[in-house]
Parts: sequence; C-alpha cells; structure tokens
Amino acid sequence: MLDAVSGTGWVQARRGGIYLLGSLATAVGTVLALPVLIHPRLARSWATWHRERAGRQLGTPLPPRPPLRGTGRRAWTDPATPRDLLWLPVHALTGMAFGVPALLCVGNVVPAAVATPLWWAFTFQERPRLFIDVPVTGWATALTLGPLQIVLLVAVAYLCFPPAARAHARICRAVLSHSAAEQLADRVAVLTRTRADVLDAHGAELRRIERDLHDGTQNRLVAIAMRLAVARQAFADDPRDEQFVAELLRDAHEGAEEAMTELREVIRSVYPPILADRGLDGALTAVITRCGVPTRLELGDLGRVPAAVEAVVYFAVAEALTNVSKHSRATAAAVRVSRTADRLSVAITDDGIGGAGDRQGTGLAGIRRRVLALDGTVGVDSPAGGPTAVTLELPCGS
Amino acid sequence: MRVVIAEDNVLLSTGLELLLRRAGCHVAAVAGDAPGFLTAVREHRPDVTIVDVRLPPSFRDEGIRAALEARRELPGLPVLVLSQYVEQQYAAELLSSTGGGVGYLLKDRVSRVDEFVDALRRVAAGGTAMDPEVIAQLVHRAGDPVAALTPREREVLGLMAQGCDNNAIASRLVITANAVHKHIGNIFAKLGLAVTDSGHRRVLAVLAYLNGPVRGTGAGSAGVSGR
Repeated sequence: MLDAVSGTGWVQARRGGIYLLGSLATAVGTVLALPVLIHPRLARSWATWHRERAGRQLGTPLPPRPPLRGTGRRAWTDPATPRDLLWLPVHALTGMAFGVPALLCVGNVVPAAVATPLWWAFTFQERPRLFIDVPVTGWATALTLGPLQIVLLVAVAYLCFPPAARAHARICRAVLSHSAAEQLADRVAVLTRTRADVLDAHGAELRRIERDLHDGTQNRLVAIAMRLAVARQAFADDPRDEQFVAELLRDAHEGAEEAMTELREVIRSVYPPILADRGLDGALTAVITRCGVPTRLELGDLGRVPAAVEAVVYFAVAEALTNVSKHSRATAAAVRVSRTADRLSVAITDDGIGGAGDRQGTGLAGIRRRVLALDGTVGVDSPAGGPTAVTLELPCGS
Repeated sequence: MRVVIAEDNVLLSTGLELLLRRAGCHVAAVAGDAPGFLTAVREHRPDVTIVDVRLPPSFRDEGIRAALEARRELPGLPVLVLSQYVEQQYAAELLSSTGGGVGYLLKDRVSRVDEFVDALRRVAAGGTAMDPEVIAQLVHRAGDPVAALTPREREVLGLMAQGCDNNAIASRLVITANAVHKHIGNIFAKLGLAVTDSGHRRVLAVLAYLNGPVRGTGAGSAGVSGR
C-alpha cells in the first residue's frame, strides 16, 4: 500500500493509470446498472468497494463503516445511505471526466507506435494521423511526430496520472466519508445498545438482591417476630410454660443470627465492604492474602476508578483466585492491574495445569457476566498443561 | 471493669451498654468518633475498650486506625474491635501491634452474651479474642497440614486460635482439661510447632503458623513428618 506513495514515479504512474481506467469502467458500469444500484444494500457494497479502492490509492486506508442498519424499507433510513446514493451520479460523472482523458492518453500511444514504422502500409485515404489530425505521409513525419507523440503522452501520463488518480480518490473519500454528524450517530447507536445491555444487567442484579432480601432475610425477620410475639403471650400465661418460652426465645435468637449471616452475604455480593473501606488496592491485597496459593500483586497507577468497575475487578480477581486454589494445582499466581487512558486491564495468571474454561463453569461464567455488563471483555487462555491467564479489559472512562 | 466504647450508632451503643451493665461492667464513656474515643481513653484509662470498625466521618476503617493509635499512645491498652464483616487483613494489623489484649469479632457475636463477655474479659486480661470466621479463613488457607488433623483437633485448633485457654476449650467442647491438653500436644506435633505456654503467646504462635507462607503439598508434609 505504501508503495503507491513511496514507489518510483513509474510505479505510481502505472497504478494511477490503472485506477483511472478502472474508474472509467466502473463509471460506465454505474450508469448501466443504475436501476439495480439504487437499492441501499447494493449501493452500500458498491460504495464500500470504492472507498477501499480510494483508500489504497491514497495510501491511507479509510476507517471501515458500520454495516447497514436494518433491512428492506428501514435500510433507507441508515444515515449513510444518502451518501451511497449520491456517490452513484458523482462517480458516473467524475469517473468519466478523469477516465476518458486517461484512456485517450493511453489509447493514442498505440496509433503512434503503429504509425511510426508502418505508416506506408495504409492506403492514402486511411493514412494514420498523429497529433489528432496530422496525416503521416512520409518517413520524415513518421520518424519525428510518431516518437514525439509517444514521448509527450508518456510524459503526460507520468506527470498527470498520479495526481489525477489522487484527486478522484479524494472526491470519493469526501463523498463517502462519515460526516461528524454520522460519526456521532454511529457512536450514539453503539452507546444506546451497550447502555441497554448495562441496564438489563443492572435490572437483573437488582432483582437478585431483591429476591435474596425478600426470600431470605425478610422471611427470617418475620419468623423471628412471630416467635417473639408468641413468647410474649406465653410469658403472660398462667401457669407459665417456662420451657416453651425458652425454646421460642432460643429459636428467635438463632434465627436472628442466621439473618445476620445471610445479610452479610447479600451485602458482600452487592459491594464488598473491604472495597468501601480500603479501595481497590487494599481490597485486592486482602483477596490475595486469603488465597491458598502464593500470589503476587502488581498494581499500576490506577487513578480514580468508578465504583462499579472496582467491584467487578474485585469479584473477578476473587473468583479467579478461588479457581486457582481449587483447581489449578499452581505453586504461584500473579494479579496485574494497569490502566491506560480509558481502559483498565486486569490479568490473573498461574503456573498450574491449565484446562480452565467450561470445566469450572459457573466461576468464569460469573466473571464474564459481570464484565460484559460493563461493556468489557474477558479472555481465558488456558491450554491443557497450563499455564492459565485470565484477562479482563474494562472501560474506565473518566 | 471499666469500658470505653467507640460506636456512632446509638441503637448499638445503648444495646452494648445495657448488655455490659447486666454483666457487671461500668461503661465510662461512649464516643461517636475516633478523636472522641482517643480523648475518652486518655481521660478514663479504661480496663478495656470496644471499637466499631466504621466510624464517622468517612465510615471506612477509622475504628481500626483509632484502635492502633490508642495502643501506640497507651501500649497494651486492651481493644476489642467489632465489625459487620471480618477481614484477615484487619486481624493481622491488630495483632501486629505489640502487647496482648486484642480482640476482633463480628458484631453478631455480641448476641451470644456469655461468650462475648468472656471474650471481653479475656482481652481485658491481656488475652486474645479472634472471630471464628477469621480463623476459618486462615485454616482454609493453610491447607494440607491442617487437613491432616482429626476433626476434634481442628476444633481445638480453632478455639486455641480464637484465644481460648485450656479450661475454656474444655468447657466449650464438653471434654476434660486433660483431653484438651492431649489434643494440643498432638496438634503441635503434627504442625511441627514448638509447644508454647498458654495465653497470648500461644495464640500468636498458632496464628503465625496459619498466617505464614502457604505450604505446598510436598514441602508441607515433609516439614511436618520431619519433626
């Protein structure tokens, strides 16, 4: 690709010529196939092909465009469709405007090359003409005008083809590039989709918390209150059944303890308290000291990290290290957390037996679910025999 | 026994006061934050203090820091830290401050009044009270050598690590003090620890063992069988 720009003049001229003649051919094709090409899907493919071709000619590939949104009637509403359609007449005109001179230039080398040695073989009326309208009538003309025409045309091609080809490619780029508004529209489309995913995940999480509190803790509190209420009544009975009251109180007490344990679990699953107390740094230190395998923690300069991202990193590292302890038979592990401008990268590696993945099922699935909910990515590299590396990339926009 | 409490939640501090008064303790002061706690400790020189991990203004780990600060100022000041959740990390930080008299318990444990008051007295007397959950985290992490203990020995190890002395272990497990003594001998032999007298030093030895470098399958077993 770079050769087109940095290559010798001759290479550039040849590429430019092929580009210009190709443009002429496709311009003619555009006119002939116009009734078909106005279909948005075909117009998009046609435009994309031209964009790529123009990008190659300019030596700077144009950024790919998102695929056509919607099918059938809705395809017409794609923000880039008007540009695809505009390209059809623009290309028909510019393709010919640039292509016809190129064709003439190339085409007139041939009669000159033929006329110079063979002018005498034609009948008088059909003598070949050079410089458009100068008939070749003798060796003098043939040997001067013939080579002169070739030299001039080659010089024109050498000097003009590359800039002409670039000019056409620039027109193509100008017509088919994203406008700022379209780029914005694309970004909005992506954000709308990911935001919907995040909201879904968030909703699912709220429902889980609600279920845990409702089915667990709340029910336990109701049961405790009932036992205490009955105990109060039984306490007032005459005669009082001391043993019955004592049993009720004991049950209520144990129920309260279970409720506290359960509540602690729910709280931990929402947002680990150690994270609130000590931040990601301190929380990860706590996680690795809990791990049964000696683990090294490498923390880069993380700056301010959103709480949701911190929580996901905490859960992912805790879960991954649980897997390491339980399944990997590793003797050492490492957790690395680093940040580039708007992404947080986490790598959890061990020197164990590998083969992590579906075997461990829920653990990695849980990590994936949490990470995807924040529009991040998870990579698991764990060949049989090890080692294992789990990597996370999380958007961490400031 | 005179107690100073650092607890910002009035429901909890009045509950604690009620409970402690019934147990025959005198609550000298209740502080709502770390500076207040330090002032109260300086003023009252209590026999023991009870500190909530989360205190104003930021409700993070002010309690732990206040406890450590107070112990720096008054070495050996008995501190019992209460928390809604336990982290091995916090336990290690508390234990690293010199001298005995350290406790770290889940708030849940307060509701077992007798055990809680026991733990408080132990701390006041310079002993240790570690929450069973902290010990469970440590035991889980220690892996193979601990797994080689019998279930009963693991129970004894746990209670020992929590800070119980032989008599307390005996009464908790409903066995004789003699049996406890035998179990402890076996545990120390299996783990390859030098037998230490009871009390804080023994707890520290056990905790140091559990908290120490993780023992791999091969190396760990070899070390234990070597003794």
